[in-house]
Amino acid sequence: MSRSSRETGTAYALLAPSLFGITAFLVLPIFVVLWLSLNRWNLISPAEFVGLDNVRQVFADGAFRRSLLITTGFVVIVIPAQTALGLFAATLLTRGLRGSALFRVVYVLPWICAPLVLGVVWKWILAPSDGALNALIGQRVEWLADPALALPTVAAVTIWTQVGYVTLFFVAGLTAIPSHLLDAARIDGASPRQVFWRIKLPLLRPTTFFVLVTGIISSFQVFDSIYALTPQGGPEGVTDVVAGRIYYQAFQSRNIGQASVMALVLFILLVVITVGQQRWFRSRTTYDLSS
Amino acid sequence: MRTRAIALASALFLTAGTAACSPSATRDEDKGAGGRTTVTVRLWDDQVAKAYQASFDAFSKSNPGIVVKINLVPFADYFTKLPLDISSGDIDDIFWLNSSPFGALADSGALMDIDQALPDEKGGWVEAAVSQYTRNGVMWGVPALTDGRSVVYYNKKLIDEAGVDPAKLTWSPDPAADTFLPAAKKLTKDSTGKTADQPGFNAGKVDQYAFNAANDLGAIYYNFIGSNGGKFQAEDGSFVFAEDQSAQAIQYLVDLINQSGVAPSAADTNDNGDFSRDKFLQGKMALFQSGTYNLKNVADGATFDWAIAPMLEGPAGRVSVVNSIIAAGNAKTQNKAATVKVLKWLGSSEGASFVGRSGTALPAVTDAQQSYYDFWEKEKVDTTQFGEASGTDIIEPPFGPKFLDANTAYTPIFKEIFAGRTPVPAGLQKAQDAANNAIK
Amino acid sequence: MSAAERVHAGRTRPLDAAVAYLLLVAGALVTLAPFVLSGMTAVKSPQQFAAEPVLNLPQPLTFSNFTTLFGGRYDFVSPVVVTAQVVAVILVGQIVFSVLAAYAFARLRFPGRDALFWVYLATLMVPQIVTIIPLYAMFAEAGLRNTFWGLVLPQVFGSPYGIFLLREYFRGIPEDLISAARLDGCNTMQILRYVVVPVSRPILATLTIITIVSHWNNFLWPLVITSGPTWQTLTLATANLQSQYNGNWTLVMAATTVAIVPLLVLFLTFQRHVVRSITITGFK
Repeated sequence: MSRSSRETGTAYALLAPSLFGITAFLVLPIFVVLWLSLNRWNLISPAEFVGLDNVRQVFADGAFRRSLLITTGFVVIVIPAQTALGLFAATLLTRGLRGSALFRVVYVLPWICAPLVLGVVWKWILAPSDGALNALIGQRVEWLADPALALPTVAAVTIWTQVGYVTLFFVAGLTAIPSHLLDAARIDGASPRQVFWRIKLPLLRPTTFFVLVTGIISSFQVFDSIYALTPQGGPEGVTDVVAGRIYYQAFQSRNIGQASVMALVLFILLVVITVGQQRWFRSRTTYDLSS
Repeated sequence: MRTRAIALASALFLTAGTAACSPSATRDEDKGAGGRTTVTVRLWDDQVAKAYQASFDAFSKSNPGIVVKINLVPFADYFTKLPLDISSGDIDDIFWLNSSPFGALADSGALMDIDQALPDEKGGWVEAAVSQYTRNGVMWGVPALTDGRSVVYYNKKLIDEAGVDPAKLTWSPDPAADTFLPAAKKLTKDSTGKTADQPGFNAGKVDQYAFNAANDLGAIYYNFIGSNGGKFQAEDGSFVFAEDQSAQAIQYLVDLINQSGVAPSAADTNDNGDFSRDKFLQGKMALFQSGTYNLKNVADGATFDWAIAPMLEGPAGRVSVVNSIIAAGNAKTQNKAATVKVLKWLGSSEGASFVGRSGTALPAVTDAQQSYYDFWEKEKVDTTQFGEASGTDIIEPPFGPKFLDANTAYTPIFKEIFAGRTPVPAGLQKAQDAANNAIK
Repeated sequence: MSAAERVHAGRTRPLDAAVAYLLLVAGALVTLAPFVLSGMTAVKSPQQFAAEPVLNLPQPLTFSNFTTLFGGRYDFVSPVVVTAQVVAVILVGQIVFSVLAAYAFARLRFPGRDALFWVYLATLMVPQIVTIIPLYAMFAEAGLRNTFWGLVLPQVFGSPYGIFLLREYFRGIPEDLISAARLDGCNTMQILRYVVVPVSRPILATLTIITIVSHWNNFLWPLVITSGPTWQTLTLATANLQSQYNGNWTLVMAATTVAIVPLLVLFLTFQRHVVRSITITGFK
């Protein structure tokens, strides 16, 4: 056997387990979902082919459209806030202040914990009668039961969970900026503010891009914390995010066909966002740092 | 660093080595072959689970080849998980049902035919339970519990302070005939001690509530509707709660919560069915209308003097829903013989007496009911209000094969009505339409 | 503090430093408050919680909530053990199979290599909510619902993310090391064992931590694929406990504490690695 075909054989032998895993549990399911979206199935009776009926129903029924809007609203609140706060915290942590490392560790603590478990903790903190927050402010506010407050509250909990994580990225990004650029600017008389806005921020674009893209992608899929804080879509359905809608549709209403359609729509949406953002940023993030 | 890594690795190896063995998995999954059979029982009530454990321990003594395991599923998730688990074959051998999912499940062939499995036992069971769970001429489960009529548990000290007689409380949509609301106002206190009928009463900072008006079908709104002469469902199963008398009852309840502030906000009670009970047990609620299912909780948890009065009287008298719960058998169980034995035990006066003996709930097996009354007599609690002697009429519980779907459809709207965010007439109409749509 | 960080500091005036510290401390307080408060509630007796204002310190400090939690009926021991088992098996599987695949992509030449790698990367874009429906259907049909392997199988065969990371790292291994080993007569498995793995300890440590954290905290898949007490994981058990004992916050907070503490301990022990891993890999 030639050396290259032996190498090929070895390679595929090494790849076999992961290839099996990916094919069986990531690729195959996509085709199954496609097939399921064309059927009516409630997990009990046999599946019944209905073609594009499910697609029509999903788009005719306002609930799905509404949950897309709600999720978008959620993302619009969470992403700018966590990015800005993370960046701000990073600027504080890269000043060479003593104890910065300790603060970094503290800020990242929420990231370690399960979103579901943190959701349960906040559910207590936000409880109207015997929760910690209302006890602290001395007022009785129905954070999770008032339709006007529920979504911002849930978004705030998510921001709280994510800021530390975002901070770390910006810290890495900031410390990667070559010092000679900053020195040159300072020598030229630039104020710290000018240094930040004209030099640091533009050079942070790759980090910012990364943080935004991953943040948006994961926020669109938020499920665990919302399930803990406001199950069943929240008061008047104001926290009925897409992932929750899909879950309830599939495993509570047992309408697998429609749930599959919704899942596919979400999938396509996320692909479009990823590809779109990549294109948009690619043209703006190449800096030759060697000069 | 090395030692830490080694420690971590060894921990991993140890757990990986015992992988695929859950500590709570039953040891004997195989049937027969000299091993023991396991029968699983699913229910939602914590207290009854305790009594059942004692009952099953006794059962295993006389049936050494059978082990019974209890699976406690939270009530909030119980009926959403049930169809899913039935469809995938993960349902327990025996599981509790109430009327919500009963019809659909009976029709789908998921339940064991009890007339066939236990032909001679029916005589020992409470008649109301038997008729509630007979469908198409077949009995589909062993009656487990039966609720007595709803009653009002009251806090003696708070009642005496306000000078209220709990047995003479009459409510009415007509303010002139309503003696309950003035009494309730006297029983509601804010954090500064002002009662609800005094000026300056702060409804945002209530320390003591009068009553547990809430989105609670069995103890509250179904009974209020009945006590006003209204109906929830028509004969054919369609929903009619938007009709005048029923709507009046709901409006009255909503006003108690949102207008007078004598009952807790729906924000607290909508998602937490135990909120009012906990408030009562903490001495922060004067009157708590509930059923036999809370008698043990009250007796165990109340640190104050309490007693039982008949439920609130409405314009049409005192009308209460009386509900039963059955233990159904899984038609597709792998251990039919053992399951039937356990079901027989649950339906026997001996097996059912554990629930009664501990005062936890009223068994639906006639001969076992005395143990319940005896227990409470010893505890010096008067249980007559739960039975016929109270003068409370009874009405049929909700029914229909698609009741669960209807309930899922109208419950979110009811929550908004009780929260005061949707006006009652419009909300009830919307809820009624949604419910009727769901059962089509 | 690294040299780079110091350079960025420039000259920080004392007032600026004070303001910065103030802000940092405020941030730390907001971050830590929920942990402290929930821990406080977990060691409070239910009676004290009901009778006194919620923010009062526990008096007496009691572990009764924890003994109740681990005692007979709530049986919180099982979810902890199950979760540990699931994480251990997935960890071993993912690391081993990812190392194999990454080595093939990084150091071997074979037809279809780049195309296949792109396929692996593309699967990263598939959201979990999309795959759980068909996976549920497939596993239910195969009779694997509510089993240990149902919990573990979809994850155990290597992770595209891990493969991506490892490939980057493996590409950086000097060719001489590998050629030398080959000259010595080592086959592929031996090269992996004696050259590649020892050299890759940092990235493997990183990947280990990421894998442990993300699977310990997994909720959606266990929610869907298990039912009943036998196979519920820690997150699921916590959610169920909160649902069943809604107002019993002292018990529920004891459960959340149990769910959080193991990872907290892991994190604080290996925090240097974790912090670095987040920035290098950008995972989650």
